Amino acid sequence: MEPTFFQKRLRDVVAVIVVAIFMFPIAWWALSSIKPYSAIFDRSGPVYVDFTPTPDNYRVTLLGVSRVQIGMEQGGDAAGVIKGGANSYDSRQSLADSAIIAVGSTIVTLFLATLAAYCLSRMQFVGQQSFLFWILSQRFMPPIAMVIPIVFMFRDLGLRDTYLGLILVHTLINLPLAVLLLKSFFDDVPREIDEAAMIDGATRAQTFYKIVLPMVKGGMAAAAVLCFIFSWTEFLLSLFLTTEIRTVPVKISTFVTSTATEWGYITALGTSAIVPSFIFILLVQRHLVRGLTLGSLKD
Amino acid sequence: MSLKDHDKKTFIVDACNDFTAKRLTKRDFMRRMAMAGVGFSAFNAGLLGGGRKRGGLLGLGPDEAQAQDADMLKWLADVGKPYAGTKIRYTSEATPPSIVANQLVAGEFTKATGIEVEVEIVPLEQVLAKATQDVQGQLGTYDLYYLDQSWMATFSQDVIDPREYYDQNKELAMPGFDWDDFSKPLVDGIAMYNGKQCGIPFDIPIFILMYRKDLFDKHNIALPKDLDEYLKVVQQMTEAEKGNGIFGTACQAKSGHYSLECDWTMALWGHGGSIFNKDKMFAGNDEQGVTGLKFYQELVKNSPPSATTWTWDGQGQALTQGAAAMAITWGEDFPGFDANDSKVKGLFEALPAPKEVPGRRAAADCGFNEIPAVGHQGGSTISLSQYSKNKEAAWLFMQWVCSKDVMARVSTLGGGASPMRNSSFTDPRVKEKAVVGPGTTRHFDAIKWTIDNQMGSEPDMPIWADLSNNDIPVELGKLLTGQDYNGDAKACLDAIGKIVDGKVADAGLR
Amino acid sequence: MSDVASVERARGLALPRFLTADSPVPWLLPITAMLTVFGLYPLGYSIWLSLHKRNVLTRQLDFAGGYQWAKAFSDARMWGALETTLLYTFVALALQLVLGILIALLLDTDRRGYGVLRAMMTLPLVVPPAVTGMMFLLMQDGSFGVLSFYLYALDLVSPARPLLTQPHTALIAVMLADIWQWTPFMVLIMLAGLRSLPKDPFEAAAIDGASAVQTFFRLTLPMLRKVIAVAVLIRGVDLFRIYDYVYIITAGGPGTATETLSFYAGRIYFTGDFPYAATLSLIVLIVLIVVSNIFVRVFKVRF
Repeated sequence: MEPTFFQKRLRDVVAVIVVAIFMFPIAWWALSSIKPYSAIFDRSGPVYVDFTPTPDNYRVTLLGVSRVQIGMEQGGDAAGVIKGGANSYDSRQSLADSAIIAVGSTIVTLFLATLAAYCLSRMQFVGQQSFLFWILSQRFMPPIAMVIPIVFMFRDLGLRDTYLGLILVHTLINLPLAVLLLKSFFDDVPREIDEAAMIDGATRAQTFYKIVLPMVKGGMAAAAVLCFIFSWTEFLLSLFLTTEIRTVPVKISTFVTSTATEWGYITALGTSAIVPSFIFILLVQRHLVRGLTLGSLKD
Repeated sequence: MSLKDHDKKTFIVDACNDFTAKRLTKRDFMRRMAMAGVGFSAFNAGLLGGGRKRGGLLGLGPDEAQAQDADMLKWLADVGKPYAGTKIRYTSEATPPSIVANQLVAGEFTKATGIEVEVEIVPLEQVLAKATQDVQGQLGTYDLYYLDQSWMATFSQDVIDPREYYDQNKELAMPGFDWDDFSKPLVDGIAMYNGKQCGIPFDIPIFILMYRKDLFDKHNIALPKDLDEYLKVVQQMTEAEKGNGIFGTACQAKSGHYSLECDWTMALWGHGGSIFNKDKMFAGNDEQGVTGLKFYQELVKNSPPSATTWTWDGQGQALTQGAAAMAITWGEDFPGFDANDSKVKGLFEALPAPKEVPGRRAAADCGFNEIPAVGHQGGSTISLSQYSKNKEAAWLFMQWVCSKDVMARVSTLGGGASPMRNSSFTDPRVKEKAVVGPGTTRHFDAIKWTIDNQMGSEPDMPIWADLSNNDIPVELGKLLTGQDYNGDAKACLDAIGKIVDGKVADAGLR
Repeated sequence: MSDVASVERARGLALPRFLTADSPVPWLLPITAMLTVFGLYPLGYSIWLSLHKRNVLTRQLDFAGGYQWAKAFSDARMWGALETTLLYTFVALALQLVLGILIALLLDTDRRGYGVLRAMMTLPLVVPPAVTGMMFLLMQDGSFGVLSFYLYALDLVSPARPLLTQPHTALIAVMLADIWQWTPFMVLIMLAGLRSLPKDPFEAAAIDGASAVQTFFRLTLPMLRKVIAVAVLIRGVDLFRIYDYVYIITAGGPGTATETLSFYAGRIYFTGDFPYAATLSLIVLIVLIVVSNIFVRVFKVRF
């Protein structure tokens, strides 16, 4: 039965309210990043518009302006402050580090996962479900348990505090979901296509590379985005496996000092970190929605 | 006059001559005057002329902030030449000395020696985790460790005694380093373990009383002389100012965090109790211990409700935002009160903490080198790692950052860093800053007195990091938030005693 | 298969069969190698650790047999953490599932503007969990938090007992962060499921005059059974291992009210008792393996 006009409007209103509720924390966070401290810590109530926005937090974290200079611009007495000192809140290097690792691990994950997913989709062999379960079970181990063995392993392999080391670890964690996701996309491509290609004389490898793979481009994009997001946001292993390389989540955690928590810089860096991921996920949204049944509806 | 006086006067006269003849820069002249015990007020210093224009800033401006000991830097450049290009690493908490050192190093140390220094600044529990990981595998990732005094026993075998190293490596020994200049109570309380000096004292957050003079004046409340009076004053203040949203005090009572354990020791030692008795059994649940905990429960009741989720940074923020009238806590917080955007600029004063009631337990009656006193100290050292692959370069940095000049400047810049060296307390640059404003040093008298007279130190034993982070503050947290023990202080302390005694026996330490 | 074999013979390939592209081996070898090295080694090492004891004075690891395991099973704090973790997992999972389905139903329409709404709904997923934790910490702060402010105004929470300070409400506070961040994940999965459902049964039901509620419970839900099962499995596993939110928002407090098993293991790890931390982590792993195995069998989950 066709919903009435009233029912449709009601649905619209509810939908907008629900989404607005989910957007609120992010909006609040971004708002806080342009507030001066007095507006963040106002005890009489939340401040929505009653403040003068300040770009200072972004200037410090993204443009490398030193805090000291900001302090002096505010007319402070510079006697207690160092001029020209290093700005440890400058986060540009962290953004670059995170990007390198995220892109790197995405590429490696996709490579390994597409090969495995294609095979699992096309070939039947004994123990296939168990193998898949084994892959999935890699996610069961709490990250904290992986830290020490991997630290020692990396020391022996010379991978400590390297981009490659962290890329490999992130790949490891991303693989289970990537394989499952890609398999469901491969499953969507009818086997007949493979068979037709091979009858025409193509090898299995050629079939995969030239025929089937291009057809799952959307799925690969979706998987790529999920991998990117996970790597971009991973905290624990990045913390323990690196010293000089400091990914964004680790960098943010250093803004908690022994005398105060630097909410201004935390919110600014946090907001900046969200932007690239959000753009990516928007681009692949459609494919994500399609592929996330993860093959469970195929019988 | 005595020979010594004569030398001093000759020294002064020579320095004056050199300065007039422009053989000495003004900075070096002032430094020499300071060494000779001659202080200059800003006005007088200004009269000396010279120096660059400061663009209207008052007092010691950025030029003084950049004051560099030319002799030391020249020595460093000479000795450091073979190590140019090395990179040394250490990880540290974001305390003012570390932050300041991090800001100065590129322009001064690295410029002079070519040795790069990479500092990883992270919250304290991460520093512990990384150091633990590093020594377990002897990884040598870090050339230097920043070690909290409560970890000294755990890491003593992983570090090199700096005095021995200094004596054994004469070609790397910085002239004029002056070991005796370091405050002896600090060296003993922070850096010594089992007769070995494990590092050089680097920072000394220590408990003092900080209070809002304006509120005390407003309600005509007298300053408390001991802890009993202190509690009464806190309760009075809460009554009086609660309507304005101001509580008597603010605690750092976060469940399961080391900060709660620190607050607890202040309450415990302040009432004549101790953590261990001389048989190395837990003594925190005896009569004095229970009194102490009850005192602390009252303090928490008179703090803003979120106090049980705060560590020291939340507590500091609460005081700076004007949410509490006084606290016995880290002196490091004090300069933050005078920051330009602080709501309470100029309103806080500092004094040593009120006296213990009825008195302190003698250190001889405690186990594991525990020294009870109300002024809890949380100092740290900077220590040279046994596993470092760049010991010489790291050693040069260590001496630079602990040198007289750098330590004095660190005390004034960035604010809050209490000096480790006796000379820093009397350095004219430090004395100049004893006014209201960012980087103030007007709390240093209280700190120095506390260091010399009522500094309390935690026990030194290998599992102390575990007990003081994972066990004691978790059980205390259960009590303070009502999750367990129904408000019964004795029951909570008895439970802690069982855990502690069990772990100590298990580790073979008794 | 004989077609392929003859094709190969025709090409004169002399590789043994299992190395050619027709056998699963070369396809799966890279991933298997990767997972073995980086997955099996830490597992093995953790098991090895759990059988040892760390001597505090010498730092040596001495063989100790079942010592750590006996210690874990008699550790009341471990059981408390396990209980907290189970509670957290079940409640958060149920809420995320229900909300996920409801919101997916709400947004599953081709009408104008809903595409934008669906896109916005995915935004929480891209926030780093560490940042999410801080977000909620800021919003739930007892004195300055916007969420606290509204809770006080609605009289749901008393200002003298802010959300994060009470053992009963702290777990809820942590869950809020998780629910906020991961319900969109459930929504995406459910949307995917809804969109791949065949249209015919629904048209038939509409003709028969079934109400929306009846359609939902008798048709939609059963057909989504498998999707729900996979979603529950994946999310359940992640919830059970929760660490980041606890670390940032409450550090296990008040008391031990929010101390999950992973967090407890993390605490022990930070202060150096690696064998015991490994043991606790293995308990998490074992529980997950057992429960998920049962789950897969009972609900006939196939990948």
